[in-house]
Amino acid sequence: MGTPCHFALFDLQPSFRLDLDQLATRYRELARTVHPDRFADADAREQRSALEKSASLNEAYQTLKNAPQRARYLLALSGPELPLEVTVHDPDFLMQQIQLREELEDLQDAADIDGVLRFKRSLKQAQDELNESFAVCWDDAARREEAERLMRRMQFLDKLSHEVRQLEERLDD
Amino acid sequence: MAYSEKVIDHYENPRNVGKMDAQDPDVGTGMVGAPACGDVMRLQIKVNESGVIEDAKFKTYGCGSAIASSSLATEWMKGKTLDEAETIKNTQLAEELALPPVKIHCSVLAEDAIKAAVRDYKQKKGLV
Repeated sequence: MGTPCHFALFDLQPSFRLDLDQLATRYRELARTVHPDRFADADAREQRSALEKSASLNEAYQTLKNAPQRARYLLALSGPELPLEVTVHDPDFLMQQIQLREELEDLQDAADIDGVLRFKRSLKQAQDELNESFAVCWDDAARREEAERLMRRMQFLDKLSHEVRQLEERLDD
Repeated sequence: MAYSEKVIDHYENPRNVGKMDAQDPDVGTGMVGAPACGDVMRLQIKVNESGVIEDAKFKTYGCGSAIASSSLATEWMKGKTLDEAETIKNTQLAEELALPPVKIHCSVLAEDAIKAAVRDYKQKKGLV
């Protein structure tokens, strides 16, 4: 049994550039139509089918709304699936990641809320640039290696932005 | 998830945290990362003229298991020759630290860091 592509569920063509607001609206509309509550009086088969649709819709939405996950999914559509757990050798980028994490530690120690805001802004900018670089190369078979490297970098920055959010919450308390 | 006592010990008292001059011709640096969990590991070795690892340092941003794996790796590398160090397997690190299956990839990352550091040193010396 083949599952429809995540993009097809939302009536979209596979693409990295995505209007996230539109995706969210579309998700809410679709989620209503397969919500288990609507099938409370239906027979068991229909209930199960609605539950399955609801689950795949959720999975698709979670994957597509997150840039690195969307990137990994797109690469898997056009080639072999990329393993989640790999070791990356990307020395200059990783060196920079260590520096950024050290910087974030210093901001935490100093409880520097303005500094965290600045850090967040420049991280967002780096993420936007990375997304833009990926958007122009992911569907070019000759640049697949580059696209994979960019997708892995996105994963690191995504993780880092989680840490920034957690730090913000701690500093807000 | 509960960490084993050995992981907690290395996490709370990490051995050999620090940094060496990556430009030093006697220093090999391994930089590796695990994108899914965002872990970044830097492992460095200083090798003397008889090819023995005199000192090892690491810096890891990641979970307790990743920190413990790299901490243990530096302990085991010290006093070993490059060839001996390269035989350190992730399974040995994982067994010593009693890592649960979901954390095995942390020990894989440490093994890859060891190999990267040795390779970097050998490249500097024109040995590969």
